[in-house]
Amino acid sequence: MRLAALAVAALLALAGCGGSDAPKASTTAAAKPPLRIGTKNFPEQFLLGEIYKQALEARGFPVELKANIGSSEIIHQALTDGALDMYPEYVGVLLSEVANVRARPRSPDAAYRRAQAFEAARGFALLAPSPFSDQNALAVTPAYARRHHLRDIQDLKSVAGTVRIGAPPEFQTRFEGLVGLAQLYGLHNAKARALAIGRQYAALDSGRVDVAAVFTTDGQLANGRYVILRDPRGVFGTQHVAPIISRTALSRYGPRLRAIIDSVSRRLTAPAMQRMNAQVQIDRRATADVAGEFLRGQGLK
Amino acid sequence: MTRAPQGSRLVRRTLRTPITTRVLLLSATASVLIGAVMVVLIVAVTAQRNAARSAFRSQEALAAGNQLEKSLITIENGVRGYVASGREKFLDPANEALTSYPGEVRRLISLVDDDPGQQARARDIGGEIDDYVTLWARPLIGLARTRPAAARSVVITNGGRERLDTIQRDFASLFARERVVINAREDRAEMGSARAIAIGVGGLALVLLVAAGVTLYLRRSVVRPVVTVADATGRLAGGDLSARVPARRHDELGDLARGFNAMADSLQRSRDQLEHSNAELKRSNAELDQFASVTSHDLQAPLTTISMYAELIERRHAADLNGGMALVDGIRGATQEARTLIRDLLEYSRAGRGELALEEVDARELVARALEALAGPIEAAHAHVNVRADLPVVRVDRAGVCRVLQNLIGNAVKFSVAGRPPEVEIGAGRDGDMWRLWIRDNGIGMDPKDAERIFEPFKRLHGEEAYPGTGIGLAICERIVAQHGGRIWVTSRLGEGSEFSFTLPGAEA
Repeated sequence: MRLAALAVAALLALAGCGGSDAPKASTTAAAKPPLRIGTKNFPEQFLLGEIYKQALEARGFPVELKANIGSSEIIHQALTDGALDMYPEYVGVLLSEVANVRARPRSPDAAYRRAQAFEAARGFALLAPSPFSDQNALAVTPAYARRHHLRDIQDLKSVAGTVRIGAPPEFQTRFEGLVGLAQLYGLHNAKARALAIGRQYAALDSGRVDVAAVFTTDGQLANGRYVILRDPRGVFGTQHVAPIISRTALSRYGPRLRAIIDSVSRRLTAPAMQRMNAQVQIDRRATADVAGEFLRGQGLK
Repeated sequence: MTRAPQGSRLVRRTLRTPITTRVLLLSATASVLIGAVMVVLIVAVTAQRNAARSAFRSQEALAAGNQLEKSLITIENGVRGYVASGREKFLDPANEALTSYPGEVRRLISLVDDDPGQQARARDIGGEIDDYVTLWARPLIGLARTRPAAARSVVITNGGRERLDTIQRDFASLFARERVVINAREDRAEMGSARAIAIGVGGLALVLLVAAGVTLYLRRSVVRPVVTVADATGRLAGGDLSARVPARRHDELGDLARGFNAMADSLQRSRDQLEHSNAELKRSNAELDQFASVTSHDLQAPLTTISMYAELIERRHAADLNGGMALVDGIRGATQEARTLIRDLLEYSRAGRGELALEEVDARELVARALEALAGPIEAAHAHVNVRADLPVVRVDRAGVCRVLQNLIGNAVKFSVAGRPPEVEIGAGRDGDMWRLWIRDNGIGMDPKDAERIFEPFKRLHGEEAYPGTGIGLAICERIVAQHGGRIWVTSRLGEGSEFSFTLPGAEA
């Protein structure tokens, strides 16, 4: 696989140039300042943060987790400012909302390379991506779909009046939001209603909104209570998760850090993610417990 | 008289509880007490001061926390204003607050450093503020510069408000806790000052009590016994040898009392002995005088008889004796001498005894009578007598003093240097509350070392052939003067004359 080869190449390169640092890293890791990991403002991110944190701590790397910072716009700025060392980002969102790439990449691989190049140019590294992809999507209740004969996003145009979309505030200004919907589908009768992430299902149920912007790995989608509108024109890109980390942090902690993070990322499959999301969002289990259980199951803790 | 116990045994040192030790112990106890009160007082005042100081610190901590909260609100409002309007001027107060807040956090943490729980809270708040600034305020400002629309969409999520709410809740709990601490400290400070005052008053009372106790104790056990001994000493000095003090105590004062009693005992013994020997002496003197008087008197009769027989022999048998007449003259001469001696002896033994017929007499009259009696010898010696005009009136026995003057003036005329007519001068002067009469001559004088001896009976410095006399005259003078309460003495140098002085009571005495 090209991706894996690339990761290995990067690893080797790092090992080559930071060879002298390698022995030091293992002996003095504990004395170094903790690795500051940030997460965005929704449950899946909290889970990812806990998983990386616990995996690194199990190997003796000190970690400071700064959970619930905010949307990509602000957390990426914080990373750029040096307030964070690393955070897990969705490749598609990174490209469309941060790198401002409007053209939809041909493949997940292409998207990843593009994103990697973007981060490398600003002094950051994009680590190995997760197998799962948590795409953005638009969901409606089955009743609403039946009433307006909805199958894909295109069908929303024919809905009479305004289509109220419950979404995080940034939906208003994002390409993967009203901007892209208008450009690719000509959807001009939609209005975004800002909601905290996770509240959109309740708003949908109560009829305060007609459509909800959701993540495809959301636990609430598991039991068929909602219908996902198809996205034939691909306004929502694939969203594999890859941690963005500063070069400074990478060289400070040595290649072992990257190896651990990559080995975690590679085990984040779609079923595993959806199961963990459901445990947190529906079963109301503690994020840290769910993350720890997953790592133990994978032999990473 | 019973034998007095040995002084050394009585005045032995008592080691059981010497007064020095007791006074020392007492002062030490008092000092320790006062010291303890002082220490407790200092501790109380220090505690009170510390409590007040830390209460003040807590107030400062509250103020610092409020300032920090204000800074945060300034930052949030500035950021929001900037994001909404894109105008940099909204950022000015925020930038100022962004610069000042780390110092304010440090100040808050240092102000609550006396309470570990509070300090942990303050540190947590500091961390939250850092997160708010580095993960929210600064990135948002950066985002607003490059992508204002995206920044506006982020502001809508109210992430900053949520963080600030959390921080403000933590502040509220810090403040609540600090207020509790302040109240506790103020209570403690108040209690501490009340306690310090109570301890101060109590300590003062205790010190006064101890001082009063020590004074009373010293009065009772030191001053009073000493005063008793001093009183007894005064009585003893006044002649009351029966003065004694109680000596039951077993300390230095007991030793003092026993020493005093031993001394008084010893004094009384000495006086008793002295009185006894005085009485003995008087008795033997009297016996001796009596003996001399009786003997002299009894000897006079046979001597008169011998003298009479010698005269009869001379008158009736002068023709028969031929050359034997010289022997009869010898008997007569010796008999006359013995009679003179006995007369003088009688006079001496009488002198100074019996009542004095005291009267006020002008000394000039006495001197005149003496000179009259001595008119013959003065004439014979061609002596010149000069009597000073300022002689006093004295209160004396007229006959006795006449006898003294006659004797002394007679001596002055008699002991003259051959070929030098005697010059005698008589005068008087004050001698304390007595009058001193003096008789000065230009006679043969005497060695000063003989000046004392000449007043003893029958003491003569010269042979009878040179200067006739029995040698008892001055002894008689001494007795008469002594009986008047005066004294007699001579100052003289050999060959340069003498000056005899004697003192007599004045008329005014």
